[in-house]
Amino acid sequence: MTDATVTNAAGFEPVHVDRQVQKLTRPSLSYWQDAWRRLKANRRAFISLYIVIGLLLFTVVGPWVWTVDPSTQDLDQVSKAPGSDRRAFVAEPYQPWEGVRATVPEGAASTAPPANFKTVGSTTTQAVRLTWDPVAGASGYRIYRNIYRPTAGGALGLPLGDVLSPEQVSFEDRLDLEPMTYFYAVLTLDRFGAVMSPPTSLEVNVVRVITPAQAVERGLVASVADVKVGDELKLALHPFGTDYLGRDLLARLMTGARVSLLIGIFAPLFYVLLGIAYGSAAGFMGGRADSALMRFADFVVALPFLLFMILFKIAFGIGPGESGIFPMLVALVLLSWPSTARLVRGQILQIREEGYIGASRLLGARTGYLVMRHMIPNTMGVILVTLTFAIPSAIFTEAFLSFIGMGVAPPTPSWGSMCNEGIRTMLTTPHELIFPAVMISITVLAFNLLGDGLRDAFDARMRSRE
Amino acid sequence: MGLGAVVAFVGLLFVLGWLAGKTGGGEVAGDGVDEQAGSITLAYPFEPPQLDSTRATDVSSSFVLGHVMEGLLRLDEHGAIAPGVAERWEIDPHQAVFHLRATALWSDGKPVTAQDFVFGWRKVVDPATASEYAFIMYAVKNAEAISKGEMPPDTLGVRALDDHTLQVEFQQPVAYFDKLATFKTYYPIRQDFYESRSGRYGADAEDLVFNGPFTLARWVHGARLRFEKNQTYWNRDTIRLNAVDIPYITTDSAAVMNLYKDDKVAMVGASLGLDPEQLKEVLVQRWPMERFNEGAIFFLEFNHRDGRLTENLHLRKAIQLVFDPGELVNQVIKLPGYLPGQSLFPVWLRGADGLFRQEYPASPPKLDVAAAREHLELARKELGLETWPPISLLCDDRPLTSRITEYLQARLKEELGLEVRIDRQIFKQRLAKMTAGEFDIVMAGWSPDFDDPMTFGDLFASWNLNNRGRYEGAELDRQVRIAMGSLDPKTRMDAFGKVQSLLIDEAVIVPMYERGQVFVRNPQLQGVVRRVVGTDPDFTHAYLGSP
Repeated sequence: MTDATVTNAAGFEPVHVDRQVQKLTRPSLSYWQDAWRRLKANRRAFISLYIVIGLLLFTVVGPWVWTVDPSTQDLDQVSKAPGSDRRAFVAEPYQPWEGVRATVPEGAASTAPPANFKTVGSTTTQAVRLTWDPVAGASGYRIYRNIYRPTAGGALGLPLGDVLSPEQVSFEDRLDLEPMTYFYAVLTLDRFGAVMSPPTSLEVNVVRVITPAQAVERGLVASVADVKVGDELKLALHPFGTDYLGRDLLARLMTGARVSLLIGIFAPLFYVLLGIAYGSAAGFMGGRADSALMRFADFVVALPFLLFMILFKIAFGIGPGESGIFPMLVALVLLSWPSTARLVRGQILQIREEGYIGASRLLGARTGYLVMRHMIPNTMGVILVTLTFAIPSAIFTEAFLSFIGMGVAPPTPSWGSMCNEGIRTMLTTPHELIFPAVMISITVLAFNLLGDGLRDAFDARMRSRE
Repeated sequence: MGLGAVVAFVGLLFVLGWLAGKTGGGEVAGDGVDEQAGSITLAYPFEPPQLDSTRATDVSSSFVLGHVMEGLLRLDEHGAIAPGVAERWEIDPHQAVFHLRATALWSDGKPVTAQDFVFGWRKVVDPATASEYAFIMYAVKNAEAISKGEMPPDTLGVRALDDHTLQVEFQQPVAYFDKLATFKTYYPIRQDFYESRSGRYGADAEDLVFNGPFTLARWVHGARLRFEKNQTYWNRDTIRLNAVDIPYITTDSAAVMNLYKDDKVAMVGASLGLDPEQLKEVLVQRWPMERFNEGAIFFLEFNHRDGRLTENLHLRKAIQLVFDPGELVNQVIKLPGYLPGQSLFPVWLRGADGLFRQEYPASPPKLDVAAAREHLELARKELGLETWPPISLLCDDRPLTSRITEYLQARLKEELGLEVRIDRQIFKQRLAKMTAGEFDIVMAGWSPDFDDPMTFGDLFASWNLNNRGRYEGAELDRQVRIAMGSLDPKTRMDAFGKVQSLLIDEAVIVPMYERGQVFVRNPQLQGVVRRVVGTDPDFTHAYLGSP
């Protein structure tokens, strides 16, 4: 006889669990999630984050999109601001001009201005050719060019040159011709080179021209056969304008950003890592070892950066005309770590005395575990903040060194060296200075604001606060 | 901070500014042109290191000494030789006799005598003086031997026949001694005064005695120079300016521009010329501009020493052929004072009758990229190279230089595929590297010392220490010797004409540009003379008047 009990599901009833007790009023947030939430709430920092991402894209993806060579010189468009007129007509290549010679009329020296002042051939950006009638008694002529209509007795503009023989009654102007209206003037000189007559003036409209060969070279047309003389072309587009040698400013900014961000990101990354290792070692060991290590850090702080930069440049055998980027990186890494080391050491010293460290130790945690599990993660906030503040200062250092000519070698651009070149033409072509300067400012500001935001976000005391 | 604090702060700034204006400077500088006082105010970029004429080398010394001293002869306002301390002179191939005027006086009233010249010239060649310009005395008998320490200074071929007669014997016939006699190194020095200064001669305004049209009335080092009309000068009646005041010694061209705007100086670009950027500003201000050819020529000099790539003629030819000085001057330098370089001999040099370059036109090679590539290929085969190593281009650190070198770098890269490393050095270091031969190509220049093609012509002779690329050409040496040994203008100019074409054919150098200046002058200030050689700018004949 079997005493069997029938068991089925119906015979069971789950034990009632009172879920109300465990119910949380808010979802649980990890440290990182909380930081991220707070960063998102900080609008300035968040915009900065987007700017930083945008800069990285500009640097990395930019050259793939805007494939202009940053060192190609477009001498047709030198120091052009963005949005300049780009129209050009196709013309025959420049041919040297023999000039015009005439017999000087006999007779007493005349103080009349040269008559019949006119242009020869077409007036283009290749050359403007001028001729006039010889004047009795003159021993030479002087030619001026102005951008304003001359007034009686007023300034005649740029003194282009002197013709030193009275028979030579022509002058060819090729000096930096722009497609615009010029006012030329010619006057006579006596045998001592003193002015003898009032000027005659002439209004000349200059059109921009380009030869078929140049058009091919600049990549405007595929072959010489595609264009004929008289066609209108558009010169290469330079969205940010060009510099003093006609190099594309946008392409140079992108290449320059590489140098700036390379230094700006790698140098801090390396020296912050070095600083963490050094600082946590010092902080954890404590006592005499800590003292010794920190005194050495103080010693490194006292070393002059610029001097070491120069010494490294020599030590690495960086000859003249070669890039000084590598010694700059080394100098930055070797001389900038102590600040991070100090910060990390301070944190570690503090954390070492915390109760949970003691508890962990009692439970048998080993040193490596303590450092990796408790100490480094707890200093992470500080470290990230240091890193974001270190980046703008490194970018600034690079810009400064390139500005004084210690950084990149030409023709490689960097934002600092571009500012250095642009500052000379600040008043006439400000865009050459403004663009790199704005890039440096935006980058430094964005990294700083982001750093600010991160500092607030990682601050444990602000945790759970709205 | 409330509004009150802001007002207080701004007020404080004004008070401080007013105090600074009161105390700073000490002396009040006058207007650019002061017609009543007959004086002008100028800015000048540098002050002279010292003013002992035997040791003076630089432009600023020339400028000051040219106003306060006078040699046997001088240059007039048209650049022609004119009487100075000497009223008459006779020069034959072997000697010269100068008759000094009795009215020539030092600023302390004592007469200028022939002994003053003898003393000064002996000082120049004395090895103890170590004058960098001793070589310019070598025309005088025994000068070279004395400066090398082989003979005592009193054997120099110059004698005072009496107080007012000076006799000069030549080492070998010289065609241009009258031009040399205007040079600053040939100025007189008075022995009793020199010795009374116990080694400080020329160090300060008080340590000088003057015989020129002006005296140096004040010299505050680094701050101010002031010339005043010399009341004992023999030709004082022709000097119309009472004072030339230079209270601004600065290289900041923008500052000088602002001073001119405020009518505080009479000229802008009086020594260095205007920058390309300033030209636009001047155009907008509608100030009249003047142009001046400085006389200096700039060129790419190759290193011809053994083992250098540039020793190879085909490589030099290739570089010569991808380079258009016209494009460089018109598109890159963009200054109207500059001329495209075509020859070592600048356009202003006088030849046998007219201008040298009109008598012997230069025939520079035309830009020809295809031919350049052929030359490069030949050079590569001759040198047995697979690929070209980088070529170093030595240059100075002026802003314009970086523009030019980067242009050249791109030309050579694009057209020939040559990589150029730019070696930018400060002026002195560049000179040191040039002398040591640490370069492949150097951007060099030469300013004339005297108004004769010889000042350029012997530059690449194998014995000339200024031939920094160490070019050695037998034919060139031969032509220079012909020019040196002859007094006949035609023979000499023919020889220089051959030197000119040899330099192009052998691609010893690649001429780049002749340097010029554009400057602005107050229209009331007239009669300012700009000179290629000697005192520049020269205010001796300047006067104030309505334009």
